[in-house]
Amino acid sequence: MFTFLLTDIFFYMIVISIILYVNYVRKTPDIRETWSYVFRNKTGIISSVVLFFFISTALLDSIHFKEKLYDTEADKYVYTSEIKSLLDIILLPIHKNSEKSYSSPFSSHLYSKETVKFTNNKDKRIYPDLLYKGNHNKYSDDNAYNIFITGSISIIKILVLSFFIYIIIFRREIFKNNSFLDPLIRNKVFFTSLFSMSLITILLYDLGSQYYILGTDKVGEDVLYKSIKSIRTGILIGTLTTIVMLPFAIFLGIFAGYIGGIVDDFIQYIYTTLNSIPSVLLIASAILMLQVYMANNPLEFENIYERADLRLFFLCMILGLTSWTGLCRLLRGESMKLREVEYVQASQTFGLNKFSIIIRHIVPNIMHIVIITVVLDFSALVLAEAVLSYVNIGVDPTTYSWGNMINAARLEMSREPVVWWSLFSAFLFMFVLVLFANLFSDVVRDAFDPRANKNYE
Amino acid sequence: MHLTRELIKIMNNLLKIKNLCLNIKSNSDEEILKNISFEIKKSEVVSLIGESGSGKSLTALSIIRLLEKSCKIKKGEIIFSGKNILRIEEKEMRMIRKKDISMIFQEPMRSLNPVMSIRDQLKESYMDYNSKDINQEIIKNLISVGIKDADRVINLYPHQLSGGMKQRVMIAMAIACKPKLLIADEPTTSLDVTIQKQVLDLLIELKERLNMAILFITHDLSVASQISDKIIVMKSGEIIESNPSNIFFQNPENLYSQSLLESSSYKRKLKKNINSESSDVLDVKNLKVFFKEKNSILSRNFSYIKAVDDVSFKIKPGSTHAIVGESGSGKTTIAKAIMGLSHVTSGNIKICNKNVLTMNGLEKRNFRKNYQMIFQDPFSSLNPRMRVGAIIKEGLCFLRPELDTKDVDKILYEIIKNVGLDESSLGKYPHQFSGGQRQRIAIARVLVLNPKLLICDEPTSSLDVTVQKQVLDLLMEIQDKTNISYLFISHDIKLISNISDTISVMHKGKMVESGITSDIINNTANDYTRNLLQSVPQIKK
Repeated sequence: MFTFLLTDIFFYMIVISIILYVNYVRKTPDIRETWSYVFRNKTGIISSVVLFFFISTALLDSIHFKEKLYDTEADKYVYTSEIKSLLDIILLPIHKNSEKSYSSPFSSHLYSKETVKFTNNKDKRIYPDLLYKGNHNKYSDDNAYNIFITGSISIIKILVLSFFIYIIIFRREIFKNNSFLDPLIRNKVFFTSLFSMSLITILLYDLGSQYYILGTDKVGEDVLYKSIKSIRTGILIGTLTTIVMLPFAIFLGIFAGYIGGIVDDFIQYIYTTLNSIPSVLLIASAILMLQVYMANNPLEFENIYERADLRLFFLCMILGLTSWTGLCRLLRGESMKLREVEYVQASQTFGLNKFSIIIRHIVPNIMHIVIITVVLDFSALVLAEAVLSYVNIGVDPTTYSWGNMINAARLEMSREPVVWWSLFSAFLFMFVLVLFANLFSDVVRDAFDPRANKNYE
Repeated sequence: MHLTRELIKIMNNLLKIKNLCLNIKSNSDEEILKNISFEIKKSEVVSLIGESGSGKSLTALSIIRLLEKSCKIKKGEIIFSGKNILRIEEKEMRMIRKKDISMIFQEPMRSLNPVMSIRDQLKESYMDYNSKDINQEIIKNLISVGIKDADRVINLYPHQLSGGMKQRVMIAMAIACKPKLLIADEPTTSLDVTIQKQVLDLLIELKERLNMAILFITHDLSVASQISDKIIVMKSGEIIESNPSNIFFQNPENLYSQSLLESSSYKRKLKKNINSESSDVLDVKNLKVFFKEKNSILSRNFSYIKAVDDVSFKIKPGSTHAIVGESGSGKTTIAKAIMGLSHVTSGNIKICNKNVLTMNGLEKRNFRKNYQMIFQDPFSSLNPRMRVGAIIKEGLCFLRPELDTKDVDKILYEIIKNVGLDESSLGKYPHQFSGGQRQRIAIARVLVLNPKLLICDEPTSSLDVTVQKQVLDLLMEIQDKTNISYLFISHDIKLISNISDTISVMHKGKMVESGITSDIINNTANDYTRNLLQSVPQIKK
C-alpha cells in the first residue's frame, strides 16, 4: 500500500513542475534555444547527468509504501507499521543486515578488538570477523582478485544494458527527428558521462553487496547506504527551502525596490526585524514548539516516520522563512537601479503597468543574482542542517542525513583509532552534489545571459 | 652641419613613437594598433582624432604604460626624451609618470576619489614637499587653474564641486609636477559648452606658461581645431592622416578625414514647407515641475527645486522644435513631464488638442501611441535580455492590441527595413549591434506606433560624428515622409540650429528665449544665448 508523506508530496510537485516546464520550453522556440546551450555545453551535459542520478535516487527514495504481511494469529493480511521506500527495496542486498559496530571500508573484521571465548575455553582478544559482508566473497577468496572479477562483471552488465537500450530506444525513428533530443543522442560527452555514472552506480551496487565499501557506523549500519539515503534529505532541504524562500525574496525585493516609498519602508522594516533576531534562536523555538505539539498529540501520528517527516518539513519551512532576507536586500538594490534604467522608462512611455514591467524587464535582469544566490545557499543550507543537528534542533535523529552523520563524526573523530569514513562519505556525497549543482547553475546563468561569451567547450 | 641639424631635431622631439603595434590577447591575432608612428615636439599640441574604437585611448595608455594586462605591445618604440619607455623598469617609469608625463581623463566624476578631500587628492602629487609648504603649493596651484576661492575648495569633497570644477582639480593634479607632456583623454567631452570653452582656454594658457606639450585626444574636430598645432586622424588602429592643423582644416587629404569634417557640421538637405495654419501637435502652457527637497523631518516648510519653471511652447505638425540648454537646465524634465514619467506641479500639456494631464487611465493608454520618446543612451534604453524583435513588438502589442500576429510580423519586417537594418536583426540581442544600430532599433520601436509627436532626448550625443549624421539623416528622412513632429532636446546649439524650425533656450529651469531658429541664432537679444553661441567651438580654418 502506498503512503504519501508530507515531503513526498512536495517532492512530486517539484518533479511535476520541472516536467511541465520542460514541456513549456519545448514549445517555446526562444527559450528552447537558450536551454539547448546548456545541453550543448560540456560542463552542462556532465553536471546535468550527475544531477539526474542524484535526483532520481531522491525520487526513488520518495516513493513510500507499507508492506503487506500475513498475520498468522489473526489469520489475515495486515500492513506493517514500517514504511519503506522503493530505494530500500532496490538496495536490499546492501543494507539487509547490520554488523555489531564499526568496521573500516572493505574490511573483513570489526574495527576494535573484542574478547572472544574459544572452544578450548581460552579468552582471546581478537578482531571478530564480520557476520554478513567482507568475508563472503562470491568469486574468489583473494580480495583483490574478487574485486577485479566483480568489477569486470559489472562492466559487462553495463555494456549489455547500454547495447539493448541503444537498440530498443535510440534507434527508433521518433528520436532521430526530435530536434530537442537528437543533438543529445549524438553527443559523445553525454554518452560518456551517462555511461560512467551508470558504471559507478552498478559497481557500487555489486561491490556494496559483498563489502562495506565505506565501512560501517557505530551500530554496524552500512555507511554507503546511509549516505545514499541522505541524498533525499539533502536535496529536500536544498530545494524546499529555496521554494519557500524565493517568492518572499523575489516579490518583496522587487516591490521594495521598484515601487519604493511606503512599500519599501514596510518591507525593509520586516526584513531588518527578521534579520536582527538570531536565526538559530528562531529555528530552535519553532522546532521546540513542534516537538511540544508532537508530544502532546501523539495520536495524530501513526508512526515515527511521519513524525520525522513532519520535522523535516517544518525545518525546511522555518529555514526558508529566515533565509530570504539576504537575497531580498540584494534584489531590492538591483531593482532600484533598474527602475532608473532607460529601457524601463521606455516601456513606461508605452503605458505598460507596473506588473508587466516587473515581469518583462525587471525579473529577467535580476535572475542571474537569484541563480547565484540560490546555488550558494543550497550548499549553505545542507551545511546549516548539519549545524542545527549539532544543537539537536535539526532533522529528527532517526532521519538519514549528512548533517546527522557529520554530527556523529564529532565523537568518532575524537576516539582512537580514528573512525574517519562517516565524515568522509558525508563529505564526498555533499561535495559531489554541491559541486555539480554549482557547475550546472553556472552554465544556466551563462545560457540566460545574452552578453555572455558562449563557448561550447 | 648635417649632423647638428639631426641633433637639433632629436632635441626638439619630446616624444617619438615608432611603428607601435599592439594586440589584445585572444584567439585572433588581429592588431588593435597598426604601425603607429608620430612625434610630439616640445610645447606642441597634438590632437589625436578618431571615432570610438579607433585606438586613440590605447595609444595614450601605451605612452604612459598603463595598458590592461590583456594588451600586448608586439613591436615598436616609444622614445621619450631619449629613453625607450617600453624598455625601462617599472620603477623608472613611475618616476617618469611622477615628473614628466601626466594624464587627465574623460570623466571627472570618476577620476576623483569620492572619500578624499581635494587637499588630500592633491597631496599625492606633492610627495617631495614638506608638509608645511604643501598647503601653500596646493592653493597656488588651484588658483593657477582658475579656482578663485581655493582656500575654501581645498577642504571640500568631490561631490560638492561642479563638473567643470572637478575637471579643473584634475588638471591641477596633472600639472602639479610641471610635466613636459600632458595627455588629455577627451577632457571636455562630458562638460557643457560654456565650461568646455573655459577648460580649453585654461589648457592653452597653461601650455604657454609651463611650456608643456599636450597630446589631446578627442572625437570632436571643432574642439581640436581650437587648440592644436598638429592633427592626427586615426581609424581602426591606423593613422590615416597627420598634418599641421591649418593645412588639415583647409584641405584634408584623406577621404575619411573629409567625411569627418563634413559630418562635424550637420546640414539638413531639403525641407518641406510647414503648413502654419494647421493646429498644434504639442502645446505646453506654463509648465511647472517642482521637486520637493527633504529638509528635516520635523519642519513643515518644504523647499522646492524648480526643475522646470513656467515653460510654454508650441509645435506645428511636421516641424521640429528644439530645446537647448546646459546640463541641469531642466530640458530632460520637460520631456519626462510630457511623457508622464515625472509628475507635473502645474500647467497644461495638450497633444493634438487633448489635455494629457487630465486623461484617465484607459483613455491615456489608447492615446499614448500618438506621442513617443527616444532616449539618449542606446546602450541602456534596450533591455539586454530581450531580442530585438520582442523589443520592437513590445509597444505594438500593448498599444495596438487589435493587430494579430501576422500583421505584427509584417509591420516588424517593414519597420526594420525602414530604419536601415537587416531582417535577421529581429532575432538578435541588442549587444550584437553598434551604438548607431541600437539607436536605429530604438527609433524603430517608437516608429511602429506611427506617433504624431516624437520626443528625441539627445538621441545622438553618445554616438560618433559619422554615425550621428546617419541617425539624423534617418530622422529627417522620416519627417519628410510622414510629417511627424519632433521635440528635439540637445545641448548642442550648433546641431540644433541646422535641423530645427523653432527653438527654446533653457537656463536653470526657465525659458530664457523662444522663437524661430534663424532669428535666435543670428540676432539674439539675450545674454545667456549669446554666451552659449559664442562658447560653441567653430572650426578655425
